[in-house]
Amino acid sequence: MIKYIIRRLLYLIPLFFGILILVFAASRMAGDPVQLMTGLNPHITAEAKQQLREYYGLDKPLYYQFLVYVWKLFNVDLGNAYAIRGGLPVTTLIGQYIWETFKLQLAGLFLSLTISIPIGIISAKKQYSKLDVSVTTTSLLGTCIPVFYMGIIAIIVFSYYLGWLPPFGAHSLFPERYPFGNYMLDELWHMALPTAVLTFALLAPVVLLVRSSMLEVLRQDYILAARASGLSERTVIYKHALRNALIPVVTYIGLYFGGVLAGAPITETVFNWPGVGRLFVEATRRLDFPVIMGITVMITMMTLFANLITDLTYAYIDPRIRLE
Amino acid sequence: MSKELLKIENLKTYFDTWAGVVKAVDGISLEVEEGETLGLVGESGSGKTVTALSVLRIVPRPGKIVDGRILYRGENLLEKKENEMQKIRGKEIAYIFQDPATSLNPVFSIASQLIEVIRRHQNVGKQEAIEKAIELLRLVEIPDPKIRIRDYPHQLSGGMKQRMAVARALSCQPSLLLADEPTTNLDVTIQAQILGLMKNLKKKLGMSMVLITHDMGIVADMADRITVLYAGRVCESASTITIFYSPMHPYTEALLTAVPHLAIKREKLAVIPGTIPNLIEPPSGCRFHPRCKYARATCSEIVPPLEEIEPEHYVACLRAKEIAIRSPLES
Repeated sequence: MIKYIIRRLLYLIPLFFGILILVFAASRMAGDPVQLMTGLNPHITAEAKQQLREYYGLDKPLYYQFLVYVWKLFNVDLGNAYAIRGGLPVTTLIGQYIWETFKLQLAGLFLSLTISIPIGIISAKKQYSKLDVSVTTTSLLGTCIPVFYMGIIAIIVFSYYLGWLPPFGAHSLFPERYPFGNYMLDELWHMALPTAVLTFALLAPVVLLVRSSMLEVLRQDYILAARASGLSERTVIYKHALRNALIPVVTYIGLYFGGVLAGAPITETVFNWPGVGRLFVEATRRLDFPVIMGITVMITMMTLFANLITDLTYAYIDPRIRLE
Repeated sequence: MSKELLKIENLKTYFDTWAGVVKAVDGISLEVEEGETLGLVGESGSGKTVTALSVLRIVPRPGKIVDGRILYRGENLLEKKENEMQKIRGKEIAYIFQDPATSLNPVFSIASQLIEVIRRHQNVGKQEAIEKAIELLRLVEIPDPKIRIRDYPHQLSGGMKQRMAVARALSCQPSLLLADEPTTNLDVTIQAQILGLMKNLKKKLGMSMVLITHDMGIVADMADRITVLYAGRVCESASTITIFYSPMHPYTEALLTAVPHLAIKREKLAVIPGTIPNLIEPPSGCRFHPRCKYARATCSEIVPPLEEIEPEHYVACLRAKEIAIRSPLES
């Protein structure tokens, strides 16, 4: 087991470098960084550009620049942003946004899983019942409606017309606006709408996945055999069937987890949520490559790590998968 | 004769599908006496498995028992509540499935699957349950039971898996064992071993058994009595010797003719012409008449009742007496 983990970690190294090279190459293919940085400034002189080039080390050969980037990466330095927030270090920038993203994502993931798994199971148990039909229809609709649309509708209904929830941001600007003067309540108050939208967006595919996977498992002989042994319906469903049905769900969550810290770019943008996802969108719009690269590197690491965790979870759930 | 353990009367189990109502079991009656082995014989789709699943009331959806009585020790199982049935399943009546590869849950160890059933029906602690489980593995002749018990199903061969399934079925010493083609998916040599084992255990534990199969060789070896099913109905029911040496139903005759013999000269394998009928709209009258070489016009009009033509020999054929079938085994 430990041998397997070490081997997997070693295997991650070339993968990580491969992705780094790709991302680095892509950022340079987009154009001269100095040109991108100064494109909007008509008064910039050629000397100033040269100075910038030397300052950022862009006059050195490309391979050298890459090695410097990697070396800095090992020292937790992702370089400085070109323009966002006056060229703050990318690590500082991410550090400022990551907590808000983490908060939102974790709440969304937790809520959607606790709701979707039981619903999927019940829906599968009562296949073709009225409940099942309404669950599948709602879920299908849920997967069809784009998140930004759902977000905008939610804002129009709950903020504009009903005025119950704030339409954007993570905090009130002034402490006087805090509900009951409480900071925590203010945070929850702001989280409600984006979390609900994110939960709903995540909910629908998981419900459908759990349902179809459960239906597949319930057809198996070992379920009939468990019933024939006199086990209670609860044991049959929640022990014998669920353990088998969860395998594809774990894959899905594992894939999703890789992107958790990258945020939900669309949801965060719609709700103007100060998270990494919105930062990513902003950086892309302004071609701020150090930020884009920094976030991509983070997503890469998270994804690789999440894949490893997923594989380990598999082995725990399904003994047929041997880790050797 | 000894006491009746199980008696099925006019059982009807239908499957309500999009295409129509499939009458998989349509008025089957049979009985199993204490200590006896009943062979339930018929082609695929004749209703053998559905009958057995109906006894435990675990027919998968959309199957539904619509009529009949299933008397176990005189009590109608169809009137029992679900939690009462759970106490009968696995404890009084156990089931062995056709394919051991799929009837054991792949994600739980043998130990946990055995202990679960033992602790469900017997009031024992975990340690005691483990000991009982090891004892069971010894009973089904698994070598190194203390080691093998920790295995997962995928680590075992087909024959071993079926032994494990037998062990699970026998864990609470049931009075009746429903064995649904327990050896169909096994190699011939392993088949003989498992059948031998089941025969021994049956004697040792004094249970009754319903052996479902389409292999006439197996019932000849194992069964005391045979009930022949065709398209959801009983054709003939009698002792094994009677069925083999003086069958009275044309379908039984056809089944016996289709048994391949070891012979020097190469013969064409005998087959029953046609296929088992569509059970949504079964043939009128006797369901076998479209494939029967003795059929007359009346056969498609009148449903033949199951009659006791000789003592302990039940036949459902209008012409049973006139046609005077000779057993294919005697020719």
